[in-house]
Amino acid sequence: MEAIASPITDTQESIQTPVLINGSQALMKALIAEGVDTIFGYPGGAIMPVYDALYDYQEQINHILVRHEQGASHAAEGYARVSGRVGVCLATSGPGATNLVTGIADALIDSTPIVCLVGQVAKRLLGTDAFQEADIMGVTMPITKWNYQITSADEVPEIISKAFYIAKSGRPGPVLIDITKSAQLELMTQPFEYECCQSLVSYRPRLTPKKEQIEAAAKLINNAKRPYIFAGHGVQIAHAEQELIAFAEKTGIPVATTLLGQSTISTDHPLYVGWLGMHGNYGANVMTDEADVIIAIGMRFDDRVTGDASRYIKQAKIVHIEIDPSEIDKIIRADAPVVGDAKEALQALLPLVYANDHTVWRNEFRKFDTIEHDTITLPALTNPEGKIRMAEVIDTLSQKTKGEAILVTDVGQHQMMASRYYQFRRPNSLVTSGGMGTMGFALPAAFGAQVGAPDRDVVAIIGDGCFQMTIQELGTIVQNKQPVKIIILNNNFLGMVRQWQQLFHERRYSFVELQNPDFITIAKGFGMDGMTCDGRENLSGALDTMLAHEGPFLLEVIVEKEENVFPMVPAGATVSQIRLS
Amino acid sequence: MITYTICIFTQNTIGLLNRITIIFTRRRLNIESLTVSETERKGVSRFTIVIKSESREEVEKLVRQIRKIVEVMAVFGYLNDEIVFNEIALFKIATPLGAKSLDVETINKQYKAWVVYWGLDYVVIEKTGSEDDIFGFFEYLKQYEILEFVRSGRVAVGKTEKGLVEYLPEAEWAYYL
Ligand SMILES: Cc1ncc(C[n+]2csc(CCOP(=O)(O)OP(=O)(O)O)c2C)c(N)n1
Repeated sequence: MEAIASPITDTQESIQTPVLINGSQALMKALIAEGVDTIFGYPGGAIMPVYDALYDYQEQINHILVRHEQGASHAAEGYARVSGRVGVCLATSGPGATNLVTGIADALIDSTPIVCLVGQVAKRLLGTDAFQEADIMGVTMPITKWNYQITSADEVPEIISKAFYIAKSGRPGPVLIDITKSAQLELMTQPFEYECCQSLVSYRPRLTPKKEQIEAAAKLINNAKRPYIFAGHGVQIAHAEQELIAFAEKTGIPVATTLLGQSTISTDHPLYVGWLGMHGNYGANVMTDEADVIIAIGMRFDDRVTGDASRYIKQAKIVHIEIDPSEIDKIIRADAPVVGDAKEALQALLPLVYANDHTVWRNEFRKFDTIEHDTITLPALTNPEGKIRMAEVIDTLSQKTKGEAILVTDVGQHQMMASRYYQFRRPNSLVTSGGMGTMGFALPAAFGAQVGAPDRDVVAIIGDGCFQMTIQELGTIVQNKQPVKIIILNNNFLGMVRQWQQLFHERRYSFVELQNPDFITIAKGFGMDGMTCDGRENLSGALDTMLAHEGPFLLEVIVEKEENVFPMVPAGATVSQIRLS
Repeated sequence: MITYTICIFTQNTIGLLNRITIIFTRRRLNIESLTVSETERKGVSRFTIVIKSESREEVEKLVRQIRKIVEVMAVFGYLNDEIVFNEIALFKIATPLGAKSLDVETINKQYKAWVVYWGLDYVVIEKTGSEDDIFGFFEYLKQYEILEFVRSGRVAVGKTEKGLVEYLPEAEWAYYL
């Protein structure tokens, strides 16, 4: 601009009166101060000022346009889960905000740190049923760790710093910030200043466990004859994988994981005995009834793990290491509760526990492994007839990727098969919707995971039903050139529901058969390459093609229509009533 | 059924009542009464919530669940003998011409209640006390025409030496129940 065009001597003026920015610009600066470099979002009327500000910050903040806000919240989850950072999503008011809800609920129950920023109608319109006004504060209150409505620009820095602090500290979880359009537009009355929140008066997660608690836990562990470790998602959230392994190796205690705890410890580690729960491993489940001390770390005794909780591990003393005090005694009474961060707790325990090897006890698990291998695994992997089995696909993928990929799964039989047959070698490699069991999770979450871990191979394992819940995110993947590999295990059924109908409802297959579209044509329509594999002899080649492909790739594998996932603990049964067929 | 009084100290923010009551709703616990006011500390509110429950364990879990709310500074669950507590009730009694006259002396001396307002053809009597006291008085007043009756939620303070608010920063969720 020419000097004459601005009659006021700009420079002098700005030295005296600092430039005041509006709420949207403040939001950008706050996000940058929090180290945010990626946002998953979708614009609309009530968030337009923020999008306008974003236009100036494209260099610092990579905004990814999803195709549906549910995709944004799941992508933020996937991003958060693999990167260990906070996932951020942005949406407009009303329908934009309500579309985020499924991902928010999912993030709460799986302790995933995301911050959702949503637009809201102008302050003067609040509560008037204005266009695209939804009471998203009321809607998300029970499914957020914290939520807050910003109604003035001045609140932005403090509230955003609180939002990030709350989302990522203690037991991580989703935070929703509702920002009125007026707050986005109005100028701050103060110059922008930002300080990252470090603590809050009313919210003080305990990281360092109490000494007495550690000592009590160590005593129980040292006196145990048949101790058993359950490692949950909390171990990975705390980045305590090394500590867990050191602890297990020193004490010689076998380790099982929960579904979300999968990949915490390499599946070929001699102390690893499998995973727990409804479709977990035979030995891992049955042996819970034999242990005398159970050391539960960062897990919450979900009913999919315990079966009938009233008849669960009555014989054992429980050491429960958990950062969220409200989880202690919630389902299972702990004899030695340890409130604190898993990493700190394990570090504190390590010098207090005796070296041991528990060989006899550990070997007891192996006879169950043999049974499981002979009755389930081997037949699933070496069946020369019929259609391809899900197990074979996962097993072959596992070999070809050497167990080093990040697996993102959707919900259903394919999810359980992926968890069963993939041989995880690296930590933080299974991203799945555990607590909510949200169909439609995998495609956007895999995309988010690939953005969060650009150097790793990300493979999504998705059922034909689940895929159609968020199929439109193929467009996001293509537009952003993320090399996500997608495998659809197509059985033309809502397989998991069909399995239950078969086993518990006399094969009354009520509304579980799908008429599917041509997935490859759809992928191609979005600009993604893909192929179908319908024969066992082509499976290996198809997986090679997919893995060698540079960009994203969709591989559809036609699998056995009526395959079942075993072992299985029927709902309401005890874990030792686990069925092999 | 045992009566528990849950005292919750919170930062005073919009929507918090909602967040707190959702937890009761989810756990299918009926709230018998609820009182909220600011404490002697500016910006700190105190909720006093009375519930009845058969299981102490359930109440402990509830307390911990409430403690999770980010704005909640401390939560305490009490049995009746651990607190000093009261409610207040107002009775509006018809006093039309020619009706049986009020026995103010009994009301004052025996029931420790006071007439706090005289209308043209009614009076308002205030009575503080426990739920039992108040319903005892209600029985007594039945001989008159009760036009309106309203009872507040419980207010309560713990029987410890210091005010509990003093302990807030260090308050440990688990060890007060
Ligand atoms: C949003 C949602 N709706 C319904 C369900 C119930 N449900 C769980 S698994 C499943 C079937 C999934 O089918 P598909 O994606 O084909 O996978 P498969 O089980 O065949 O591997 C259904 C309907 C759910 N988990 N989430």
